[in-house]
Amino acid sequence: MKFLPVILFCLFCLKDTVAQPGTIYGRITDIRGVSLTGANVVILGTTLGASTDTSGRYRITGLKPGVYRMEISMIGYRKSVTGEVEIGRSPVQVNFTLEETALQSKQVVVTAGKYEQQLSELPVSASVLSSTDITDRNVVSLDYALRYAPGVNMNLDQVSIRGSSGYSRGAGTRVLVAMDGIPLYTGDTGEIIYEIIPVTQIDRVEIIKGAASSLYGSTAIGGVINVITKDIQDKPQLYIKGYYGLYDHPAHKEWDWSGQRRPYNGLTLTHSNSIGRLGYVLSFTRSENLGYRQDDYHKRYTGFIKTDYKLTPLSTLTFMGSYLNQSRGNFVYWKDSRHVLQPRDIDQGQKVNSIRYMLAAVYKDVLSPDFFLKVRTSFYRTNWRDETSSHDTSKTGILEGEVQTNYRVIKSLFLTSGVESAAGKVNSNLFGTPNSFNIGAYLQAEYRFSFPLTLTLGARYDFSRLDTLKGFDSFSPKAALNYRMSDATTLRASVGKGFRAPTLAEAFTSTAAGGIKIKPNPLLKPETSLSMEAGINHSFGLLVNSDLALFQNEYYHFIEPGVDPIDGLVTFRNLTRARIQGLEVNLTFNLVPGNLSLLTNYTYLWARDIERNLPLKYRPRHQAQASLSFNAGSFEIGTDFRYWSKIEALDFELVDLGVVLDGDKRVPVYLLDFRTGYNLLSLGLPGKLFLNINNLLNYNYIEIIGNLSPIRNASLSLEFLF
Amino acid sequence: MKILIYFVFFSTLFFLSGCDGGITPSPEGAPKEAGFGGSVAFKGKWPAGVTRTHIVAFRNPLNSAGDFNALNLAFVSDSIPFGTTGIVFSSLINPQLPIKSGEYAYVAVAQSKTPSLSLDRKDWFVSGVYYANGDTTKPGRLVIPENTFVTDIHITCDFNHPPPQPPGGQ
Repeated sequence: MKFLPVILFCLFCLKDTVAQPGTIYGRITDIRGVSLTGANVVILGTTLGASTDTSGRYRITGLKPGVYRMEISMIGYRKSVTGEVEIGRSPVQVNFTLEETALQSKQVVVTAGKYEQQLSELPVSASVLSSTDITDRNVVSLDYALRYAPGVNMNLDQVSIRGSSGYSRGAGTRVLVAMDGIPLYTGDTGEIIYEIIPVTQIDRVEIIKGAASSLYGSTAIGGVINVITKDIQDKPQLYIKGYYGLYDHPAHKEWDWSGQRRPYNGLTLTHSNSIGRLGYVLSFTRSENLGYRQDDYHKRYTGFIKTDYKLTPLSTLTFMGSYLNQSRGNFVYWKDSRHVLQPRDIDQGQKVNSIRYMLAAVYKDVLSPDFFLKVRTSFYRTNWRDETSSHDTSKTGILEGEVQTNYRVIKSLFLTSGVESAAGKVNSNLFGTPNSFNIGAYLQAEYRFSFPLTLTLGARYDFSRLDTLKGFDSFSPKAALNYRMSDATTLRASVGKGFRAPTLAEAFTSTAAGGIKIKPNPLLKPETSLSMEAGINHSFGLLVNSDLALFQNEYYHFIEPGVDPIDGLVTFRNLTRARIQGLEVNLTFNLVPGNLSLLTNYTYLWARDIERNLPLKYRPRHQAQASLSFNAGSFEIGTDFRYWSKIEALDFELVDLGVVLDGDKRVPVYLLDFRTGYNLLSLGLPGKLFLNINNLLNYNYIEIIGNLSPIRNASLSLEFLF
Repeated sequence: MKILIYFVFFSTLFFLSGCDGGITPSPEGAPKEAGFGGSVAFKGKWPAGVTRTHIVAFRNPLNSAGDFNALNLAFVSDSIPFGTTGIVFSSLINPQLPIKSGEYAYVAVAQSKTPSLSLDRKDWFVSGVYYANGDTTKPGRLVIPENTFVTDIHITCDFNHPPPQPPGGQ
């Protein structure tokens, strides 16, 4: 590590020798002449590019004199490539018009290979949620938005991609959730705190399915979800959003514990601007939910800040901070089936207070048209205390850093490499005062053959140490192919090894909560996986896009919670073997281009504990979704339908032990949501009004044992952009 | 295109037709089944030739070989597979002889090596006994009140250190 300053110095020297003053600028519009904000402009054959600002303008500098072609892309529009543009010493203006399309394969992602790629160029399955997917549904926390992503399911607040995770009360995650590439798992439980992510600042959410340990290391064994935040505005912009909603009365009078419709509300204020070379965005949100269940309320304040400082035209220093202050009730399990919205008597009045914040700094530099450098560091602090008889507390800090380079060696060979490290420290009466450390190095090579085949080979080496436990290392190789058979058809295949180190919570938790006693297991081993996938994407003209993927994930020493029969205590154990096989089908119908679209998907999962020949918990065998959207002028309307087959296995031990009465009650899920919006611009106001009705049928279902999912609720929201 | 829209419409209707409101409350005053649940852990190597293993409960203490009889026997669980290292059980799940509310003096794990089911005391041996409140000097008493499911009944079967055998065994 002591050589890092020397390497950086050399890279800076290299930059000064190759930076050139050639400039391309211009404006990107749609076919109606409307400026497109956030369109990506990339100079082909280089790593140079830019995004358009609010007036659709872009500027790319530092080009060597020569002849270039540009690729322009934006979510919802067909990617286009310009003709040849000659660059000399004088700036050259290139304006461009993009054509609308609903086809997802044209979308651009940065998460799969740690650089910008089109979805159709990826060798692995991926999907993207856009900011409108989030705002149109009045999503107040990212985990709700993820329920609409194909192949993803949420077990309460625990995310699972293609059945990677069951439910373990937040301890450990098999999906790495990051914000602009910065990991967001806590240092103690290793869980994801979704509330710290500012939903109104999300530009898009990229979801990479399948083991991604070869680039991202532990916790990415089941995939990666990367939240990309919005770009900072060049001109002053004020965004205000407020909402008010009500839960309906429960479907059965026995459950109506309060006799009232329970309200929820929130307000967000965001300001963004640039002053000279400094751009900034400040956002503040207050939200309150009195809860459809007793002791399931929350009150939270969140803050978000991001600043960009352009050190040079080709280098940027970004600072980002996110803050969460939350007080919430702690609903553990229902009392019984006649009181599903009330906690058990012994859990009454439980409350958790928490303060969490994340600070990050990112330095990006285009050292040459073929060499890109990114250096980042972050600190994630969590501090929580529950007000129960056990008075559990935990203070955790995790310091993380990464140096990443992208280097185009020759036209057909592109290398991505980096070093990443994290160190954590915990002080808790639950976990003790353990610390953790891991370091990893990765290298990925992407080779494009002259015929339309791209071969990707990559590997990562990690060393992890969890306090007093014996340190271990892991080597995670990956190989992948993307073959473009025609403009309409792309084949992909990948195989890779993944691994996940146990979290401090999984190895060291010692507590009693909600009638469950949890004991540590210091003998817990890391789990590993071998993931394979093959897929095909085919477009039937511009109207229909189809995607089929077959996948198989073999897990070794799979970590799952369970009851130790010796003493009846819950502990985390290594299952010797687990296997998850399945298929995923996605169909996108652009029924009336620009006005009416239908997105459907179906996932089949066969998830088994091979050793005991039992189904893995909380993995529905069949999942299907359909989203229909219609818009005409200022008016839009849509519905989302979600289906889960009845979960085969859940924590039956808790039923057998009498901890959760009627805990074996479970049903298939039929969930229907409705949304409509009206653009107030037609009334001369720069805003939008939304009406959302979630769980329109007031259908009663569970995601995890003893927890009824939200009953029917409706909200009105209003947003303004000045 | 119309065909597609019709397909989507009727598919949705088909799915929703299976939707009956979901989870419902149990009827008011429905008696809750009395029973007990917990776990059994097995330590050491299983004895060769064991043909059946059951959790059993007797109403009265086993003070003589005669107390091991069908009238005193109040509960027999489903058979536990040979070689199991541990199970979590509920008396409500597949009992061979269901239990009722009441008091039980002796709860144990009993094993047999006979090829056919026998109620002869000499055909059985006890590999684990339920002890209450950590007192391993005498068998624990299990009390199941009316309409109550008693939890946390844990039994350890240590094949290397078997518990005292009731009278009448081999």
